[in-house]
Amino acid sequence: MDKLIVSPSPHLHTKTSTKSLMRDVVIALMPAVIVSVLFYGWSELLVLSTSVASCLLVELFITKFLLKKPCTITDCSALVTGILLALNLPSTTPWWIVFIGSVVAIGVAKMTFGGLGQNIFNPALVGRVFLLISFPAQMTNWTRPEGFVGGNLDAMTGATPLGAVKEHLGTEGASLTGMTEYADMNYFDMLFYNIGGSAGEISALAILLGFAYLLFRGVIKPYITLSIILTVAVFSGIFWIADPSQYTDPLFNLLTGGLLLGAVFMATDYVTSPMSKTGGIIFGVGIGVITMLIRYFGAYPEGVSFAILIMNSVVPLLNKWFHTKKYGRA
Amino acid sequence: MMKTFSIGGIHPNDSKISKDCKIEVLPVPSKVFISVAQHLGAPATPIVKAGDQVKVGQVIAEPAGFISAYVHSSVSGTVKSVGPRKDLAGNNMTHIEIDVEGDEWVEGVDLTDTLVTAIPEDNKAILEKIKLCGVVGLGGATFPAHVKLCPPPGKKADCLILNGAECEPYLTSDYRIMLERSKEIVVGAAIMKQVLGGCPAVIGIEENKPEAIKAMTAAVAELQKSAKGYDGISVMTLKKKYPQGGEKQLIDAVMDRQVKSMGLPIDVGAVVQNVATSLAVYEAVQKNIPLITNVMTITGDCLPMEKQHNYKFRIGMPLSYIAEYAGGIPEAAAKVISGGPMMGKAIANMDATTVKGSSSLLYLTAEQTVRGEESPCIRCGRCAEACPMGLEPFLLQKYARNNMMDELEDNAVQDCIECGCCLYSCPANIPLLDIIRIAKGDVIRIIRTRK
Repeated sequence: MDKLIVSPSPHLHTKTSTKSLMRDVVIALMPAVIVSVLFYGWSELLVLSTSVASCLLVELFITKFLLKKPCTITDCSALVTGILLALNLPSTTPWWIVFIGSVVAIGVAKMTFGGLGQNIFNPALVGRVFLLISFPAQMTNWTRPEGFVGGNLDAMTGATPLGAVKEHLGTEGASLTGMTEYADMNYFDMLFYNIGGSAGEISALAILLGFAYLLFRGVIKPYITLSIILTVAVFSGIFWIADPSQYTDPLFNLLTGGLLLGAVFMATDYVTSPMSKTGGIIFGVGIGVITMLIRYFGAYPEGVSFAILIMNSVVPLLNKWFHTKKYGRA
Repeated sequence: MMKTFSIGGIHPNDSKISKDCKIEVLPVPSKVFISVAQHLGAPATPIVKAGDQVKVGQVIAEPAGFISAYVHSSVSGTVKSVGPRKDLAGNNMTHIEIDVEGDEWVEGVDLTDTLVTAIPEDNKAILEKIKLCGVVGLGGATFPAHVKLCPPPGKKADCLILNGAECEPYLTSDYRIMLERSKEIVVGAAIMKQVLGGCPAVIGIEENKPEAIKAMTAAVAELQKSAKGYDGISVMTLKKKYPQGGEKQLIDAVMDRQVKSMGLPIDVGAVVQNVATSLAVYEAVQKNIPLITNVMTITGDCLPMEKQHNYKFRIGMPLSYIAEYAGGIPEAAAKVISGGPMMGKAIANMDATTVKGSSSLLYLTAEQTVRGEESPCIRCGRCAEACPMGLEPFLLQKYARNNMMDELEDNAVQDCIECGCCLYSCPANIPLLDIIRIAKGDVIRIIRTRK
């Protein structure tokens, strides 16, 4: 003790840091990552590693050589974007398409806005949607989950449940009641793994495990996720009760596609979601409604990505309109 | 259900390491330096000069305004000098230097341990005594106690709240007096309650101090049985949450009322006094002892158990003397704090002396206290969730950095109580409170000028 430090209060600080929060998100993503690798095998491992490596490299390159600023990849946010992007892609995506997605996600959606904390849109989703629009064929080349644990090595291309339904209903006079695939759909399989789709979409349970971890660690609050789930359930419930031959049921809508992945990991992204609770709930309801509008009436079978991005753009307004409840100013 | 305040708050580790250390009396040093600024408001005017003989308890400085307080000599001896000396922040302030000779008290002071439970009837005389004895709030702000106990005309106290929350981590002085001087505190509460017109009194204590809750409840029950004037006093257990002991938060927790922005507690019928203030009121009114002593905690994780202390000190004792007496400043200490780790002041000058409101010497290591490097805001909203005033620190700091005064005022920067919850919880190490504190000062100045 030679010199005393003098600084304004408070003199203590929480152990939680940006890095520890990002690390917790990575840990929460692990169940979904493990399930996707187990069921999609080597190809998924390739997509994951390409996505993560290129996201980190793109951020490193931009900060170091273009912006000439201290490198920010140690905060782990690019790692999270890399994993999320990979989980949003089919396991068959060629490596170079994954790379382009990473460049768009980190380079365009994140760094051009000023890096971490400044972006309006969720980087991983921007990357995914860019790829979906640019490479529609490759981006909908779904393989049925047949990886390290599946028996059938002759992986066959199949549609996602949402895609199959959309295609079926596309024909004149079609009805879900006559659709055997839909009737045979097994919610138990959806919950655990056995459905086609992006790597992160195959197991609802793995996502929910991650959700539980995030809540337990206090990383996120549940209201955004719950308001999305509730909205989707109510919205689809109303339509389904009105006409079950044309509209899929609520459980089907909750367990298929990227709904849970989006509701748990993408819509709750700190940077691109509202700051207040009221704002967050409206944000969630908006995502739920837009998702269902696209699923029931839109051209795409799936709408979660679009819904989140559209609502991302409303966040600044929600932040302007809704503030926290202040003491003594009721 | 246990009560607490309704907005925000954080849960730091309470670290009450020294809670089982009994209060020890510090021996008087050979020399004291008594500051004339021991309270909120105008510094007192010295009325002694070099060469004067003073006794313990003699007035040496008089109030210099409505919000000001008497200062008494804490020792007997000869005044050596009256002049500027550096306080703990390193700023010059008038101090009265006294060479100690013996320990002779002024007349009329009752130094026995006998508990005086009969409360004088004349409220005016009680208030005068509280004022003459220099009693100030000992919960942190050192606001002159008699001012708070005289509600302005047209306002009435509905409840006297005694603050025994001691929500700052590490501090245990209030806890110790609640255990060791429980009855005196209750008598003090009964006196204040009578002065305020007989409103109920609630002693709020956080759940992490079960022994204090027990001791205070027992003291209240016993006094209610054996003496008059003790009805309507009760103990309320509060949930452990920082800043429970903040005046506005405590009113919300105990009375479910919220003080309006820029308003006073009395506007909603509340008067809040710390338990230590209640003890000082007891000593002033019942024993004629002016406020020249208080209890402070010597603590820190880097101090071994035998060097943890709760000391009864006299005002004017050099902090270095106390640190030395307690076993020296630990090698690992990087910061010494007077007060709690959330709102206390970092000491720049260990030669500064104790004042009425001194509450601790808290040693923090570099690892505990050095802030991490600032990184970009990730908009996690933790600061807004933590703010007990419901403010949005992330927004305020942005406005403050851009000098947007209108926006700062619209977003209530002037309501900030500087509790530190925002800075504590920021994962990006943004110096939120540092920035907001300055902006708050500016905005309050603007509001005042407008009036």
